[in-house]
This record gives sequence, structure tokens and C-alpha cells, in this order.
Amino acid sequence: MIRLELKPLKTVEDARSMLETAIGLEFGTLPPYLYAMFSIPPGKNVAAANLIKSVLMQEMIHMCLACNIMNALGGTVKLVPPKYPGPLPGDIGPIGKDALVIHLYRLSKEGMKQGMDIEQPETIPNFPVLKAAPGVPATGTIGQFYQRLDDFLATLPPGVWKKGRNQITDNQFFTGQLFAVNDYADAHRAIEEIVSEGEGAKDEPLDFQQELAHYYRFGEVYHDRVLTKIAKPPGYQWGPAKLGVIWKDVFPAIPDPGTHDFSKDSAAARAAQAACNAAYTRMVDALQQAVTGTKGALGNAVRAMFDLRLATQVALRTPLADGVSVAGPAFLYTPIKGGAKA
Amino acid sequence: MSILETPRILFRGNIAWDPIVTNNNAPAYDEDTAQTLYPDAPTIQAKVAAFRKEAIADVNPNANPPNGPSRVWNPHGTHRSSFYDEAFPDPSAPDSLIVDSCISGVDTGGGPDARDPFVGSPARFTGMLVDLEPYGSYSSQLFFDTISFGIDGGCRIVAPRNSRVNDRYINLGRNPVYYIAGFASVIWQTSFRKDLGLIVDDYDSLALRKLKEALKQDDVLGLTVRWTVYRTVYYDTPALATDVPLQTAVAEQLMAKLESGGFQPNPARSKLVGAIGLWRKGEPEHEPGDRALLATQWPPGQPAVPPCVGTAFARLGEKSVTLDLGNSMPETGLDLTKQDWGDLQVRAVDPADPKRVVAKLGTLTYKDYRREAYEAGSGIVTLAVAAADARAAAKANIQVVQAKTGTVLLDEAPLRAIPLVPNLYLNAGEAATAKLQLYQRGAPAGAGIPITLCQMSADGSTIQGKTQIVTGAGGVASFPIQVGEGEIEAFVPLPGGNPVLPTGGLNTMINTYMYVRILPADAAIGALPPTWDNVYAKVLANWKAMAPCMDNWLDLDDEAQVRAYAPVIKALTDPAAFENYRFMPVTRDMSPGCRALLYNFLDGKKPAAAPAEARPNARLKAKAPKPAASRLAEMSKSMR
Repeated sequence: MIRLELKPLKTVEDARSMLETAIGLEFGTLPPYLYAMFSIPPGKNVAAANLIKSVLMQEMIHMCLACNIMNALGGTVKLVPPKYPGPLPGDIGPIGKDALVIHLYRLSKEGMKQGMDIEQPETIPNFPVLKAAPGVPATGTIGQFYQRLDDFLATLPPGVWKKGRNQITDNQFFTGQLFAVNDYADAHRAIEEIVSEGEGAKDEPLDFQQELAHYYRFGEVYHDRVLTKIAKPPGYQWGPAKLGVIWKDVFPAIPDPGTHDFSKDSAAARAAQAACNAAYTRMVDALQQAVTGTKGALGNAVRAMFDLRLATQVALRTPLADGVSVAGPAFLYTPIKGGAKA
Repeated sequence: MSILETPRILFRGNIAWDPIVTNNNAPAYDEDTAQTLYPDAPTIQAKVAAFRKEAIADVNPNANPPNGPSRVWNPHGTHRSSFYDEAFPDPSAPDSLIVDSCISGVDTGGGPDARDPFVGSPARFTGMLVDLEPYGSYSSQLFFDTISFGIDGGCRIVAPRNSRVNDRYINLGRNPVYYIAGFASVIWQTSFRKDLGLIVDDYDSLALRKLKEALKQDDVLGLTVRWTVYRTVYYDTPALATDVPLQTAVAEQLMAKLESGGFQPNPARSKLVGAIGLWRKGEPEHEPGDRALLATQWPPGQPAVPPCVGTAFARLGEKSVTLDLGNSMPETGLDLTKQDWGDLQVRAVDPADPKRVVAKLGTLTYKDYRREAYEAGSGIVTLAVAAADARAAAKANIQVVQAKTGTVLLDEAPLRAIPLVPNLYLNAGEAATAKLQLYQRGAPAGAGIPITLCQMSADGSTIQGKTQIVTGAGGVASFPIQVGEGEIEAFVPLPGGNPVLPTGGLNTMINTYMYVRILPADAAIGALPPTWDNVYAKVLANWKAMAPCMDNWLDLDDEAQVRAYAPVIKALTDPAAFENYRFMPVTRDMSPGCRALLYNFLDGKKPAAAPAEARPNARLKAKAPKPAASRLAEMSKSMR
């Protein structure tokens, strides 16, 4: 069972602090999921790539929704690029154990297990091939983290909400999923969307749109089985149909390239990393501007995202010194003096 | 027959449209030569930059009226069109809980039913919206790979592409409150062969079980999917329909975004209702082939003034008549309330004496076609009919009549000639023969029936020639297509030897039609030395200027990147991949000569022939303006 540090909420400032954690948490999931997706060569592991991409897109939306709530509450969003390996904000981790240390893994069993750990719901239905979850207190999941936030937001007077403040909507990207938060009803819906898409409905792998929740999407890749509807309890089983994962059909990307010493690698490898970091930095800077009210900055972030994708494709085709391995993007935020900042 | 037969699966939701608009008219693009027309500038790079600058400037509604035929609302389009889920329930919706693009009901013979386990399953579709004729909007298509309903491991339909989705029966009279093309609705249809990877997993769905069983019948080719889109909103701002200052404000905001750099798409959005049904032998793949009840409120050459009733389709059973009103009944405004025409009588009249009613087929009340019913049944309504009346109506003309006025709103055309390929791409010099299937009251007609074939101007506004052909066995007729060096042709087939000609222009509610785009050979371009300068100027600059979305994954003006990605570029531009979602160029306007030059460059080859002078491509040398089009054609342009 995953736990997430839960703080008591008494003031709007407490809620903003919790939202800061939420934003950091959603942001922090993006690089590991991107790393896994980027590591899949075109035309390989198509089903797995589509599942990971679908989670990624929703995580980006969740981050924006959390930013919208923060802005609606009069707060200021400050995106803090996480470091890998490292913990996620809120010290998310198993009950009674240390916080999860998040790594950048290529498409692999351990990478998918990490995704499942991050997205783990309050209770895991005991579908065949899965072992039952141990009986532990039902506290501390991401869902419960958001539930606590939601409960508190419901108590706030209407005057707290700043209508139309720095809101990101879906009029350009993420059609139909991203909306402005102008009051508690909007915030409640945003939280429902975040939790439902991440964890599914209670005791049910489907989210509010009858799609698989994130935990189960990673589960399908991890088990290499399609989660399949059955007529008897518990209602679903893993397989028998395979998803078609071929673990070896990936770029041989090293884990956590941020810890790798590139000084012994070729100039091309170093240049590829630099290009990735530069694009990532531009993306973070543009995102920071977008969530603090700069019109059009989201389009700049998406443009930088395309640059990052292209730089990654070069990096993943540039051998390291061992002649076998490659490195995906390290996701190192490397601001350039005089560059655009929020 | 078709989706008017049961079992039938119903869906509804939303679709986003994100086409580029930079190729929508002559000042910027020559649709015959398939070349960008650049402003004057000293280098090709400068021409591209100037073109992009003009494209942004044209967003300004003061410089370029939004309802005028120009490139105004989306110079950064991606062409992607996807079903999507609304973030918020529409409080006025009959069922505000269903906001997704999803299965909304099933009909196994007893009317729309929302209790089947398949209901609520997501509908997923993403296609590339491309107009065969870039200036107009009569020839829109969606290039895609797969459509699916439901999810893996549960109730689902997964349908790999058999052919692209085509639009027909553009209804320009659907909604009186609109901005740009918000007045219109249109039918989209394609069909999927059961032997090409179609999957139907029924699990506990009775409707899917019945559909799966029906697919085993010998005369069932597969499934037809038809949907109608309506209530299109631009800039994600419905209020633009009535707020002129706001139109300027949103355009200025878009211009500011575009000028700030980055990637700034501006998709439009529509509602949709649809149905999935059996596709039987003899039925058209890409547009309704059922009995056609044509709109009567459409004077030739003029769009009706909305709200008015659009063409519908009917299937007569032994004891029932089923009407597809999905594209027919207009709304009164953006709240999607349906226009109340009162009771509508469905009847059959003697073809020789239309005043003589031979059968009464029932009455539709407002309750049958109001918004709630429309969204629940995707506009498909079934009426019980006495067996004797059904027999009498079999060879009579079905009409829909407004009871209180006696006005005939819909009137059956017993013969319809439908092109087997609605939108055809050819290269200069390729010989082609087009085929038409003549239908008589929804079934293939016989031999020996004349069809008058009108060749129209590319914008559909004027008749440029006509000829007569005759059906052969099974009601099929064919005609040769004369291919020029680079042009767009439109054909309107009219059953009979002396039909009413579309002198006022192609009428999308009344006429069936076929579009043909003939890409130039561009042999001179293909023979150019395959240098970077040539390949950029003649090929890649077009894409860079016209559709920056193609630049998202690759910097098209970076020689090193283009060379590095040669295998990928060749795979994406391979003619064998033409129908694929990810074909390049997305606009499908790459001539053989341009492809040869590109491939020679990517392969490091020398040209096959000596260098020849490429054809001029200067804006000042663009072809003469086309004749002024009819109001209908102008309005069609504004839909882009």
C-alpha cells in the first residue's frame, strides 16, 4: 500500500501547500513515464507504448488541473523539476517503509512496477495472477491525499475562489479534459478526474469514463496480459490474451542517465544529452510561464516538447562508450543565464 | 439495410477539427499545381517566413472577415480530428451524466435501449481531416487507421480501416445561430470488411452478440459506421455566434499567441451522433444508400435559410419504416433545442401523381425528434406500419409532410446514382475509369437506365460539360476520367436522360457527386539535381510554409535532420502508405516529380534525366481567378 504524507488542513495556505505537493507529484511522474515511452523504438511494443502514452497525457492534464486549483485559490505555481533518482514530493511510498525512490527506467518490468507503485489504488481487487494486497490501514494513497484536499476545499467560502485567474484550458491541447477552475464545484470535478483516472473507481479498474485507470494500464504491460472482463467475481482477470510485450524490443537505454558520467563518452553522446536537457529546460520554463498566466506559453511548451522528443531520438541512437548502451534524456533542468524565465 | 437495420449500436459525443487553413484559397495556394504561392522575397527561406507571417496576419477578422473565404482561423492546424470527451456535463443535456464520446444505446429491434452493458463504453477515433479540393469543403475526408468502441478485455468493436471516411450531404441549413461554419451539419460514413481484422467481442452484451451472429451471414460484408456532426464551435467560444466584438478579440488573442512562437493550434469542435450497423452486399461503403428523402427547402444554387429540414433516409420493412433523421431536423440555436415543426406525417404517394397518397406510414410528433430523442436514438426513428401500407409504399415515393401546413418537407427521389469511389486521387497521365452504382428505392437498379453526367467546375458552381451514360448489369455505369496535368474535377451524376441540371451549382442536399484530384506529374521537378537547395525549395518548403504541424517531429529546413531521417521520411511518403493516418504530406498533394526529387536527394542519387526548368511558382504567375462562385459555394468555403 502506498502512503503519502498527509498534513492537517486548517487554512487556505495549508491547501496551497498541499497543492504544491500535488503539482510536484504530477510533474514528477512525467519524466519516468516519458523515459519508458521514449525507449520504445517506432513500430515496437505498440500496445505498451500506447498505454504509457495515454497515462502520460492524462498526467499532464492532472498537473494542469492541480495548477488551475492553485491559481484559483490565489496561489502561485512554482514548478520544481525533480531529480532522478529521487523521491516524489510528499514522500510517496509504501506504508511503514521509506519513500519511493523514483528512477528513470526504459520499458521494463521494474519500470512498469514503479508505475503501478505510483498509481496504486486504495484497494487492489484480487484479480487472478495478482496476489492479495496485505491488510493495511486505508490511509495515505494519492487518492486519499486528494480526498483530504477535496474535503477541505468544500469548506471554503465562495469568496476565496479567484475566477479566471491564470487558468489553462483545453482550447488548444488535451481536448475535452482540461478546464478552468473557478469555484469549488470545478475543483471537486478536477480532483475526481485526477483520482478516477489514476486509480479507477472504488474496487473497479475502470475510471469515470469507462477506461482503464493508470494502475491497470501499467499492470497490463507489467503482466503482459490484457485485463479481461469475466462473469464471476472478482469481475476481471489478467489475460489470457497477451498484450504482446517484448521486453528486449527497446533501445538499450541505461537507467538514470543523470547519474552517468558522460565525460568518457563520445562528443556526440554529450551533445545529444545537452540537446535533451536544453529542450527540457525550455519546456519547463515555458510551462512555468503558462501556469502563471502567460498567454500562448503552453504552445511554446509543446513546441519544446517536440524538440525534446527529437533530441531524445538522436540520443537513443547514439552509443555510449561501451558501444552497446545508449542514454535517454536525463531530464536535468539546466537554465541558461538570460533565458526566458517566469 | 445498413444502419437502418437492427441490431444497431448507437453512439454520440464530440469531435474536434484541426485542419490547416493556409491552403484554402488562391492567393496562398494553387490547388491545381499543388504548390504554395509565396510572397515575393529574396530567398526561399525568406518566402516561407513571409508566408507564415501573412498567414498570421490573415487571422485578423478586420483584415479578413471570418465568414469570408480565407485562411483565417487555424494557420497552425494539425489536421487531427478526434472523438473527445467533454470535461463538463452540459447542464441542459437530456442526460447530463453522459458527456463522453461513447456508446449511447443499442437497438435490437425494440427501439433505443441504454441498458446493454456495452452502453457507456468509450468511442475512439482519430483521423486526419483533408479536403481533396483544398479551396472548398465538399470533398472532406478523414484518413485513419482504426476506429474502436469499448476497451480491450471487455465489450468492444475494433475496426481497422477498409477505406477512409468521407463526408456527404452537407446541410448548410442546420442551425441559425452560428459562427463560421457553425450553421452546418454533415454525414460521415465508412464501412469495415469483416475479413479485414474486424473484431466484435460480445461478453455480456446481447446487442453485440446479435451483431456478431448477423455478421456470419453470407451477404453481410461487415459493418457500416455513420455519424452526423453538428453545432460546430470555433475558438472554443460558442458566444462568437452573436458577439461581434468578441470575434475580433479571440482572433487578436490567437494572433498574439501565434506571434509569440511555439505551436498554436486552434481546433473547432462539433457534437456528433452516430450508429453502427450491418454492411450488406450492394450497399455503398461511404454514404447512405437507403431510400433518399430529399430536402425540399433548398432552392437550386442557394443554401436554405436555417432552420430547415435536411435530406433524410428511409428503410421500409414488412411492418415498419425506419427513418434516419440524423442530418435532418434543425436546431433553433446553440442550446440545441430542436425546431418544432409539429406533427410530421410520413406517407407514400403515387410517383405519377404525387398528390395521391397510397399509404399512410405514421406520424412523428415533436417528442420523436426533439433533442432528447435525437441524442438517445442518433436521429433514427422507427414507426410501426400496417403490412398492407408497407407493401403499397414499396414502389411509391415516401414523403414527410408538416401536418399543420401540408408542406412537403422531404420527398423521395426514387433513383440515386452513387459513385463507388467518392474522392479519387490520380497522377497526371494515369488513365482511370470511374464507376457509379444506380439505386432504385435503396436497392441496386437494373441495366439500361440513362444517367446524365455533369462535369462541374472544381468549386461546384458551374456546369462545364455533360454527357450521358447508361447502366449495365446490376445498375452499374462507368465513365472515363480525362486526366490533365494538374486539376480538380467534380462530377454530378443525375439519373435519367433529361434531369433537372444543377445550373445553380452542386447542391449537397440534393446531388450525389464525385471529386477527382489530378496531381501534376512535375517531371521537370523530378529531373532537377537532387541538391538540398532544390529539394527544400520544391518540396520541403511547401510543407514548412503550409503546414507547420509537419515540422513538429522534424525540422524541415535542417538538411542534416532530413538526411538523418531519410528512412522514416521515405516510409511516411511512400505511395503505399497513402491511406495511412501518418502519411506525409498530410495534405496528400505530393506529385510524382516532387517525390522523385525528394527520394533522389534522400538516396543520394542523380536524376534520371537532364535537369529541366521547373514550372514557375510565383504568386504573380498564378492562374487567373476562377469565376465568381455561387453563394452556396462561397458558404462552403467559409466552412474551412
